[in-house]
Amino acid sequence: MSDSEVIKFSLLVTGNPASSQNAASALQFCEAVLAAGHKICGVFFYLDGVLTASDLINPASDEVNIPDRWVALATQYKFALEVCVSASLRRGIVNEQEAAQLGLQHYNLKSPFLLSGLGQLAELSASCDRLIQF
Amino acid sequence: MEKKIGIINRQAPHGSSTAREALDLTLAMSAFNESLSIFFIGDGVYQLLAKHQADFILQKDFQPMLQMLELYDVEQIYVCQDSLSVRNISVEQLVIKTTLLSTDEINEYLQQQHQLMSF
Repeated sequence: MSDSEVIKFSLLVTGNPASSQNAASALQFCEAVLAAGHKICGVFFYLDGVLTASDLINPASDEVNIPDRWVALATQYKFALEVCVSASLRRGIVNEQEAAQLGLQHYNLKSPFLLSGLGQLAELSASCDRLIQF
Repeated sequence: MEKKIGIINRQAPHGSSTAREALDLTLAMSAFNESLSIFFIGDGVYQLLAKHQADFILQKDFQPMLQMLELYDVEQIYVCQDSLSVRNISVEQLVIKTTLLSTDEINEYLQQQHQLMSF
């Protein structure tokens, strides 16, 4: 595939990983995009989608672990998994730094998910050819 | 050329946090993009209906934040006329200045956007 045919996608994921089809569809779409030789600029998690970044998610062994699949994909293809910080703190997704600042005893952000601001979504929106929301 | 981004609001203001967080997103995006268009369609028009008493249901009253749109130079705010009519809401009852559009016009405007986000 020549460079001119490569489409740059950014993804906005708003679905709860435990209870919505959106979360699984986003992952499948992302896998299909990469398998077809296109590029993922990054994935931004918002609303209940931020729950995907919890390191404490443990589905039963015969169910798909969606956060693990995101991590594998992002590591292999080297794109960022950005999580909105304000939506995250509201839902109990906290990184080490925020936990220290807020005086919380625990943190649970899964690596390599990154807490970032909505400005990062603006950045992903500006840099891609297509923005796809799930 | 800057991308034209449309943000569609279709949900009632309370019952889920979607409307409030969509407004957060809109205000944040407006700092980076000056070609935002905001659409209120279906139950989304209730977000603009004055006199919410969100504190009664333990929710944040985010309606004052709608005034920030003007402050942030988000001027393309479109409301579906049909959605207002079927809900018996008049334009005087809305908390911010908007442009009313017919269903056909909304479809036309949506087609003009480079990107859409829907909440």
